[in-house]
Amino acid sequence: MTNRLRELRGQHGWSQGDLAERLGVSRQTVNAIETGKYDPSLPLAFTIAALFTLRIEEIFSPNGSGVAASTLAPPRPPNRDFID
Amino acid sequence: MASIGVSCTDAYTPRDSQNLRVFSIWTMAAAVSFATATILIGERIIDRGVLAWSLAGLTLLLSLLAIRSYLIFLRAADELLRRIQLEGLALGFGAGAVFMMSYRLFERLGAPKLDSNDPFIIMAVFWALGQYIGMRRYSGGEGR
Repeated sequence: MTNRLRELRGQHGWSQGDLAERLGVSRQTVNAIETGKYDPSLPLAFTIAALFTLRIEEIFSPNGSGVAASTLAPPRPPNRDFID
Repeated sequence: MASIGVSCTDAYTPRDSQNLRVFSIWTMAAAVSFATATILIGERIIDRGVLAWSLAGLTLLLSLLAIRSYLIFLRAADELLRRIQLEGLALGFGAGAVFMMSYRLFERLGAPKLDSNDPFIIMAVFWALGQYIGMRRYSGGEGR
């Protein structure tokens, strides 16, 4: 899993220690998430998303491509041919 | 811990440090009580009276309080620290169990008989080793 945590932290001008304090975790945890050595729990991912006022999928990417959800094509509407 | 690329203050939140301090105090108290009881009862300085039973009971009580404080520390711990601790415990327990089972075979082959406390020393050493490995695995990269 890849993430944009370092980039978002940089935008706010926070150190790893600052971010750790805001999240209530250790600096080691922030560092491990940023370097991809550790994937956060779902509650922590929600806390991170809330802190940056973003959706989880805008920060974390499961495909390993590093492509954030905001840059992906929107989901297609359901095919209604069968119904119509 | 600085030698493995992460300091204690980096790995522990203030709450973790506080809980770890409480655990250390109970562990030290239990260890001192155990050592005192072992000497006094083992050397028959105090005989099997109320005092001896009280001392043995006190050691058990302090040990249970140490376990309780560790569980409190573990439940409240930072999630990465909890993972490192659990990996360390798994390695310690596994190494101790394997040692206990396999060394009996070596004893039958002529290896020296070991004291009943030795598996616990193996457990403690591998618990510490597991934590060291965990700290190393999740540390490093760009700091601050």
